[in-house]
Amino acid sequence: MRTRLPVFLLLISLLAAPAAGPTLAAPARDTLVYVADISDMISLDPAVAYEFSGILVAQNVYDTLVAFEGEDLTTLKPRLAQSWKITDAGGSWKVTFTLRQGVKFSTGRPLTARAVAFSIDRVIGLNKSPAFLFKDVAGLKEGDTKALNDRTVEVTLPKTASPQAFLSVMTFTVGAIVDPEEVAAHAAGGDRGEAWLRNHSAGTGPYALERWDTESRVILAANPNYWGTKPKLSRVVIQHVPESSTQKFMVESGDADIAANLTPEQARELGGKANVKVQKGRLLQLVYVGMNAKHPPLDRVQVREAIRWSIDYDGIIRSLLRGEARKVQTIVPEGLFGFNATAPFQQNTSRAKTLLAEAGLPDGFATELLVPTGPAPGGVKWSDIAAKLQSDLAKSGIKVTIKETTQAQLLNIYRAQKGQLVMILWGPDFPDPDGNATPFSDYTAKSIAWRNQYEDAAAARLAKQAALEPDPAKRKALYQQLTDRILHQGPYVVLYQPTTRFALGKSVQGFVWNPMAFAEFKTVSK
Amino acid sequence: MARYILGRIASVSLVLLGVSVLTFFIAHVIPADPVLAALGEHARDDQIEAFRRAYGLDRPVPVQFVVYLGRLARGDLGVSIRTRRPVAEDLREFLPATVELGTAAWLVALLLGIPAGILSAVYRDRPFDHLARLGALAGASLPVFWLGLVLLGVFYYRLQWFPGPGRLDVALSPPLLRTGLLLVDALLARDGAVLRNAAAHLILPALTLGLFSTAVIARMTRSAMLDVLYQDYVRTARAKGLPRRRVIVLHALKNAMIPTLTIIGISFGSLLSGAVLTETIFAWPGLGRYATASAVSLDFPAVMGVTLVIALLYTAANLLVDLLYARIDPRVRYG
Amino acid sequence: MHASTPASATAKLAAAHSRRRSLLLAARRSPLAAAGALGVIAFVLLALAAPLLAPQPPDAQRLEYRLAPPGRAFPLGLDQLGRDILSRILYGARLSLVVGIVVVALAGVLGTAVGITAGFVGGHMDGVLMRVTDVFFAFPPLILAMAIAAALGPSLTNAMVAIAAVTWPVYARLSRAQALVLRRQEFTEAARAIGLSDLRIVVRHVLPNALGPLIVQASFNMGEAILIAAGLSFIGFGAQPPIPEWGVMVSEGRDYITTQWWVPTVPALAILLAVTGFNLLGDGLRDLLDPRLRQR
Repeated sequence: MRTRLPVFLLLISLLAAPAAGPTLAAPARDTLVYVADISDMISLDPAVAYEFSGILVAQNVYDTLVAFEGEDLTTLKPRLAQSWKITDAGGSWKVTFTLRQGVKFSTGRPLTARAVAFSIDRVIGLNKSPAFLFKDVAGLKEGDTKALNDRTVEVTLPKTASPQAFLSVMTFTVGAIVDPEEVAAHAAGGDRGEAWLRNHSAGTGPYALERWDTESRVILAANPNYWGTKPKLSRVVIQHVPESSTQKFMVESGDADIAANLTPEQARELGGKANVKVQKGRLLQLVYVGMNAKHPPLDRVQVREAIRWSIDYDGIIRSLLRGEARKVQTIVPEGLFGFNATAPFQQNTSRAKTLLAEAGLPDGFATELLVPTGPAPGGVKWSDIAAKLQSDLAKSGIKVTIKETTQAQLLNIYRAQKGQLVMILWGPDFPDPDGNATPFSDYTAKSIAWRNQYEDAAAARLAKQAALEPDPAKRKALYQQLTDRILHQGPYVVLYQPTTRFALGKSVQGFVWNPMAFAEFKTVSK
Repeated sequence: MARYILGRIASVSLVLLGVSVLTFFIAHVIPADPVLAALGEHARDDQIEAFRRAYGLDRPVPVQFVVYLGRLARGDLGVSIRTRRPVAEDLREFLPATVELGTAAWLVALLLGIPAGILSAVYRDRPFDHLARLGALAGASLPVFWLGLVLLGVFYYRLQWFPGPGRLDVALSPPLLRTGLLLVDALLARDGAVLRNAAAHLILPALTLGLFSTAVIARMTRSAMLDVLYQDYVRTARAKGLPRRRVIVLHALKNAMIPTLTIIGISFGSLLSGAVLTETIFAWPGLGRYATASAVSLDFPAVMGVTLVIALLYTAANLLVDLLYARIDPRVRYG
Repeated sequence: MHASTPASATAKLAAAHSRRRSLLLAARRSPLAAAGALGVIAFVLLALAAPLLAPQPPDAQRLEYRLAPPGRAFPLGLDQLGRDILSRILYGARLSLVVGIVVVALAGVLGTAVGITAGFVGGHMDGVLMRVTDVFFAFPPLILAMAIAAALGPSLTNAMVAIAAVTWPVYARLSRAQALVLRRQEFTEAARAIGLSDLRIVVRHVLPNALGPLIVQASFNMGEAILIAAGLSFIGFGAQPPIPEWGVMVSEGRDYITTQWWVPTVPALAILLAVTGFNLLGDGLRDLLDPRLRQR
């Protein structure tokens, strides 16, 4: 009988047999392994992609005519366009781009002005998520972009659009140039190549898409026809790893070079490790609570002000986020033109109570806070921030019930104007203050102001005026006026502007995070 | 026999029809709108309208149901709202990873559960019995996502015995995917390095996932063995002076396997669905994660597809088990 | 039946005595079952006494001490918001208890009703009801629960409904099997003969006789419910914050596993102990109720 146990143990060891020699090979020298949660990836077609991970890939595979480089979101740099100029044509704006010479697509075909017109019209015609940037922000229709000759493109904008905002939009992946012949060759049933470009690439960028295994990894290989300086690493693997703890294991073990979704605590712990370094990345996002301005008692300005005076912003930023966020309280974040650093609010319970009493609610009131599931920007769970807000507001006599729900459900409620308090994030669609000002202040834009039923004609007028103002000094003053107004009148509690953290292998150099939430891998070496 | 199989297939189809009706009911009676989940918060009203039309979501629910059933009859599972690809295509991509993981976990459960159950029965109420039962139960009582993280932390991060998450090291490129099962594809491509690496990647997730079924199988084997061990023919065999080990191996084991087989069939199904949590922790690109992501974004065509496929596999596994009965147990006859 | 004669009184006493002895004997023979029973009793007591035992309210935040390790001041440490983990575990026990009881009640009543009806009425009714049960059986449990919870919206109540919806078929099968056996037994026939209604027969005779296996299943179901609830919380379809449900505590705390291990580990161990307790108890009860096993 005693012989049974060894048999049992043998069985167990048999199980473990394949592990006898696990290949714990570090990734090759010329390959960058970037681990992140890329479960949002739907399409890599620049006319369709509007999710963080899809944009990250598209930014490295395609080029735009103009670009913001590194962390600088104010100086427009030439990319596929060598130069550009804006002319006032009376009834319209004309933006003329002169293309760089000798640029080839990864397919080997040369870049032409026709390709630019094709790409822009393709976005408008497909009318997918990012199309509004051309259609609404720039007021473009199909045919408004014309190839004057092989190297010159002319875009005609209506006078209601801002040429500066248009140029900002052109830095985004929606302005990426695709190879028209390649796309046409793979088009099926009038889809303008949408199905094929979903997981193939036809761009001029430093990398070309080698393969995309859904929910698993994206592999980029250096584009042999790239016009610029060759990328330092010839392959990039973007590996899907949803758990941040697992990402941390991988970067510490050397299985990954860059981990993208670390929590503040994990970053702090990694800061003390010899083989890993931690790098911060700025973001233009704002984490805010929207207050439904037609839902009593939130319709009273004092009540909304009382909520703003109830919250312990410093506690959230210093403790929960470990200081890795900026205290921003206006609707334009740091890093955009027109940023307003005013941050008057801090936790002041007695002041909040006084305000509530003025509003006729000396005993406070009960309300509901809607939050999404999962981690908020900054690496802390939405539910934790919600619990903190609940406890803060309770001190002022405001009884909050938290409703945590999937982002999908939350948006359904929010967009139907049925929220009371809704906590969510906002990131501008293009790096211009108008990317925040109009959504937050113009009710008719059917965006954030609309969702919170905040109808303020003066604010909307200011936003429109500021968007179109060509003189920087005057424009700055207008944004100052607008942000100051919304700070107290508006239906928002801006909680913080997050930063993000990356863990990098010690030898990784040249990684730069663009605050529009992507990185260009061509400068990275290891 | 043939008639029996036909009858079973008929009843399986009935069950599957029921499954699809039920999922459709869950998806459509409660007004959860999947469109915004797919289009994001910046979607314009005209885009939402176009999307609704494209996916037939603007039609009355009964019409949608008829369309759905009609498509289903032709083997068309519809288009996923989230990935915007045919659900069948998605399933083809994600199912193999889960089948591979599920099979490995199933092997873990068999190789650990059956011996543990047998030994527990043989050493009934002795320390080994208590230890084995307690161990198995504890393994089945832990939140899978915590267990998975701990296993990764200990065996990958600290001890470096096993590779990390995912199906394959980043350094290796997967072989030409024919079946989608990495082990099989590596064999077909005669790629020894990939084969070994993929096998090593399987161990921790398989252990995490298999522990629950291990407990179930061990428990079942134990009680089946106990039943048999005290039956007359076993006592007779012992009385005739046959060595105990021989009796156990020759007589008891074979008969005890019959009820165990049922539980093994059932557990394969539960493994497939248990993969939901394990796959997230181990970054395993399988059906479980697909199902989770689909449920979170209210992508009901996808959820219905996953449910149907798993229900199909589950009923198929049970049918297979029933047929195996006939081979093992001479008393069972199907007319 | 006559009022107690001295003889029958002694017999009763002896029976009670021997029952107690056999219980003790059973406990000695299967210490695991006894441990399970003790664990379950402890769990219920802790849950009931949570307000008396908890050193802090479960939601009280002390940000300045957040993530403090277990020690003298905070026996099980503090979580990411500076809430006392011991207090949250104690209050969480109440929730787990509620989840378990509600699920068992919902699933048990529905399943037993379906099963007994099918078994007792038989014929077409049996066929239809059992096909319906098969449909639910064929569902992958977590995925069905997920779909239901996604459609209803995340909350503990909806999670309980979802869990009950995926666990009732076991009760149906068990009670049907019992009803089939009991239907043919003499007391049923006799009751029919004296004109008792079917409902009465079921309630007075069939149900009590079928109770054993159902109680065993209820014990397993309690553990199962706690585990599935934890799984739903992980996906985001569980209890709403800041409710100290154990599954939520593990899944919300899992990012801290490498830096402050106690945050997810303490609730994980609480789940382990409670679920193991119910499973051991279930195992023990089954041994106790199984006549073949009892003989030996």
